[in-house]
Amino acid sequence: MKILRKPGFWLPIMLVLLLGLWPVMTDNAANREVVNSILVSVALASSLNILLGYTGYVSFGHIVFFGFGAYTGFYLMSEQGWPIYAAMIMAGLVPAVLAYLLGSAILRLRGAYFALATIGINEAARAFVKNFDPLGGSVGMQLNFQIYNDYGGAAQALWLTYYLLLGVTIVILIVSYLVRFSKFGLGLMAIRENEDAAEVMGVVAPSAKTRAYVISAFFPGIVGLLFFFKNATILPGDAFRLHLSIETIVMVMLGGAGTVLGPVLGGAGYQRLRGTLLVTPLFRNVQLVVAGVLLLTIILFIPAGVVGWLRYHVRGLRRVLE
Amino acid sequence: MKKLLWKLFIVLALTSIIITACAQTPTQTEAPAEEPIEEPMEEGEQAEEMEEAEVPAGEDMTATTLTLGYTASLTGRLNVSSGRQDNGLQLYIQDLQDAGGFEVGNEVVTFEPLFYDDESTNERVQELYTRLATEDNADFLISPYSSGLTGAAAVIAEQYGKVMITTGAASDSTYKLGYTGVYQAYTPASRYLAGAVDHLKALDPDLTQVAFVHENDQFSTDVVTAAKDYAESLGYEVVLFEGYDSETTDFGPFINKIEAAAPQALLGGGHFQDGSTFARQLYEKGVDLAYVALLVAPPEPDFAELGEAAFGIVGPSQWEPLAEFTPESAAEAGLEWFGPTGDEFVERYVAAYDEEPSYHSAGGYVAGLILQKAIMDAGSYDPEAVKDALDAMDILTFYGRIKFDTSAESHGLQIGHSMIYIQWQRPSGELEKEVVWPPEGATAETIYPLP
Repeated sequence: MKILRKPGFWLPIMLVLLLGLWPVMTDNAANREVVNSILVSVALASSLNILLGYTGYVSFGHIVFFGFGAYTGFYLMSEQGWPIYAAMIMAGLVPAVLAYLLGSAILRLRGAYFALATIGINEAARAFVKNFDPLGGSVGMQLNFQIYNDYGGAAQALWLTYYLLLGVTIVILIVSYLVRFSKFGLGLMAIRENEDAAEVMGVVAPSAKTRAYVISAFFPGIVGLLFFFKNATILPGDAFRLHLSIETIVMVMLGGAGTVLGPVLGGAGYQRLRGTLLVTPLFRNVQLVVAGVLLLTIILFIPAGVVGWLRYHVRGLRRVLE
Repeated sequence: MKKLLWKLFIVLALTSIIITACAQTPTQTEAPAEEPIEEPMEEGEQAEEMEEAEVPAGEDMTATTLTLGYTASLTGRLNVSSGRQDNGLQLYIQDLQDAGGFEVGNEVVTFEPLFYDDESTNERVQELYTRLATEDNADFLISPYSSGLTGAAAVIAEQYGKVMITTGAASDSTYKLGYTGVYQAYTPASRYLAGAVDHLKALDPDLTQVAFVHENDQFSTDVVTAAKDYAESLGYEVVLFEGYDSETTDFGPFINKIEAAAPQALLGGGHFQDGSTFARQLYEKGVDLAYVALLVAPPEPDFAELGEAAFGIVGPSQWEPLAEFTPESAAEAGLEWFGPTGDEFVERYVAAYDEEPSYHSAGGYVAGLILQKAIMDAGSYDPEAVKDALDAMDILTFYGRIKFDTSAESHGLQIGHSMIYIQWQRPSGELEKEVVWPPEGATAETIYPLP
């Protein structure tokens, strides 16, 4: 197992693990909620990175998988009485199947056309769920507070959700690394650089792109279920929020697209920036504006993202930062 | 070239975030704390108004400040209504501080607010409420504005055993999930438009065809679904039942459907933005309707800016300045009166914010009043004692009657308060709101049918 000796494999995992253990060590629920938001962002950004960073396809519809997975799992738990573990598997599988079906069609598009199509899919998904009564339609679905008793009470259930999210995030990072340094990943990056040339070199682009799309769609669904299980309420507007898709793209770009560590730094940095501004008396009334200006400044001056900048300027880090 | 395109893309993405943030910056969120009220009240008046509030801290009395934690939508699509709710709550807290607090045992208690911006989304509501409940050690919680955000906040309140008074959260479903410490100030959504159906029946017993066109969100769908069932039970034929997306700005297709279905009355709407646009476009297209009742938007003072399009529109309201709930009416009804009168609340609100309060403002104010009364009745601010006091509460305030369901199925659901219905009329040439239903509170005859 060569990869176990690679610092680039361990670094993102150790960072997430250390961050994740902070609330556990301090036994502090407020810290848990802060890290929970960060993990959601890191997980979404890392899964999107497989498509955006490795393959070069800008998707504004990543949140569709977050929403569909959440709705699938939520329905199975609230209406069918499934335990959260089984619901999580289905929350990942259903978006993955959806991505396979969608990918077969829309991944034939490139560039701006693909991006536009993904916006359309997001809107269509939201409209569909809003008018689909088995999933609650526009009034969404709620979980009875008593459901948390199955997991040892509300407090225990929130901690359980947190541990599951931490585990899922680490799995995403491992998958991201494995894809990045596999032959399949090389094919994706060849597509990113020049799709026509990649095909000439023997990369079966449609198949590779669809597989990347399916992998990137599997995890947001699970994250979505965990997020809404905690909230106890799921509504179409919250599950299919285009704004969150845009923010996820920004996180990937901020950290460094096409790297394993980048989405971790981007997701964590973006979330903490927003979270800190939100509760800082000086900035809380203008926190969105301040966050936007800061991000704009950072990205304009380090377009390759944090990881890209460090790799470029600090030669010794090139083997460590992947 | 590719780099340039990437830069352009990033700039566009970030600009969209900034524009979204700037598009709806808060307009009425300043606390009145630093602003002197134009006509300060006499000490005696304050004592009457706040009931036992003027308690000088004697040698054996200690001063206690309890923190009320909540989030408000300072940014995002809910900022107008949420801002007014926040104004009302902050005014209440300021009034209480000005009055010197209220007595609990040998303590003189006042409140202080602690709030964060929830950005009108539930993405951070749980994070912020957890922070309020743990790091900030808020003693009591007030809900965010809207049922969706309150649903997420209620889980946290319940988990940490905090009492939460909800205001601006009308959907019934939140109170049917097994919570024991969440109490609703608003009339539930299921009874929001039922009065409009009764109003219509009283106005024109021969009218048979109604249409429901509503915003396709949780609150509005809850409201119209209940109203539709009620209308059908009274023998009305529902000729159109249609939902529109929250971001709808062109109601042309819906108006065409309304004209095709030819109902005599239209009920529906959703929130302020869409409801105002809907009313304006109904007027511009000259749709022939005898009666129009829309949710949320008509009771807002800003609705008058629609001019002639606002004329005749009916709207359900949780409270209106014209509402006549007084200590005398409380005595007649055999209820305990608590808090200031409606006139006093309006006077203070106008002095603090230089605008007329809406029912969202009154909802914010009464949330604080409910909590104060519960703590006073409990003689303690222990959450369990306060819950018991809330369960037993049955009072009349300037906002109306407050009584909570104590059954296991719907614990905390508001069962005492009733809606009133206003209509925009021109009693003296200018557009003004008049209460037209229920008849015992009406200040004017209903203009019916619409011209």
